[in-house]
Amino acid sequence: MSTRTMQAHPSGEHEAAAAVAHGQSGMPMALVGMLLFIASEVMFFGGLFATYFNARAGFAGTWGPPEGGHIDLPLAAVLTAILVASSFTMQFGVWAIRRGDTGKLKLWTGITLGLGVLFLAGQLYDYTELGFGLSDGVFSTVFYTLTGFHGAHVFGGAIGLTVVLARALRGQFSRRNHVAVEAVSMYWHFVDVVWIALFLIIYFLQ
Amino acid sequence: MTDMAAGFALLGIGMLVVLGVVFVIASRGGPVRDTPKPPRGVHMPGPSYLPVVMSLGAALIGAGFAFRVDDQLANPFLAIPGLLVFVAGAVAWVRAANHEWREVEHGAHDDGPAH
Repeated sequence: MSTRTMQAHPSGEHEAAAAVAHGQSGMPMALVGMLLFIASEVMFFGGLFATYFNARAGFAGTWGPPEGGHIDLPLAAVLTAILVASSFTMQFGVWAIRRGDTGKLKLWTGITLGLGVLFLAGQLYDYTELGFGLSDGVFSTVFYTLTGFHGAHVFGGAIGLTVVLARALRGQFSRRNHVAVEAVSMYWHFVDVVWIALFLIIYFLQ
Repeated sequence: MTDMAAGFALLGIGMLVVLGVVFVIASRGGPVRDTPKPPRGVHMPGPSYLPVVMSLGAALIGAGFAFRVDDQLANPFLAIPGLLVFVAGAVAWVRAANHEWREVEHGAHDDGPAH
């Protein structure tokens, strides 16, 4: 792919236009990009939640797991606590690098990644204990679709955290230069909020 | 261990492998990386067929989930080629973006003000 450069502003306006184009006049473009991405993800999960409520509203009979299956509320509560805790540890890492404390950034990012992996492991374990599969009825399909897509997003966040941790260990972040940390933390908080909504809807709105 | 548990265990191991590979790749590079400043002006990415290639791959994966035998998670004759096309498209896209970034950062361009 090639890059085309266009310069169309008179010299007086050029500096300001270039600054805006390069995100030097406010929020870094990487964060704007992440915000736009999260906005698209909100629409995506909005569609999934709409699917859940539509399927539930049109379902004749008792809504819930099929016969012989169950959903594990205590385990889900523990997983929720793990993910919420990981949001706090992520934010501690962000605050640390804002102060220029790279050591604490490494520590908190490592803990956050560990909690994320623990959440994923717990979710996979939960799947093996449910007693129903993806195609065992409407509830089952919707359950696996919602939690599965969320799990995939947690995995995506874990990849981002891995990149942040690796770069932090290489000393690539500083008080002034840590946009990637901020962007990954925004995404991680979003994934956390989506899980809280999922947890409440699936496990409490029985 | 049931087949389902073995499948989820395999998925978990696969995730850890991916995270390990990502860690190794991200660990390369110098200790301090200043945020590179792009040259002045507005930069547009060139045209690319790679988004279409990735979409075709994703469509094949979806078809694999739709047209499957009952006891299969997906039709391997559709899903596996789809996955390969999707991953190849993603890798090519990232490589192209990196190449483009280096071109913008280091390549010859006119930094002077427009008149």
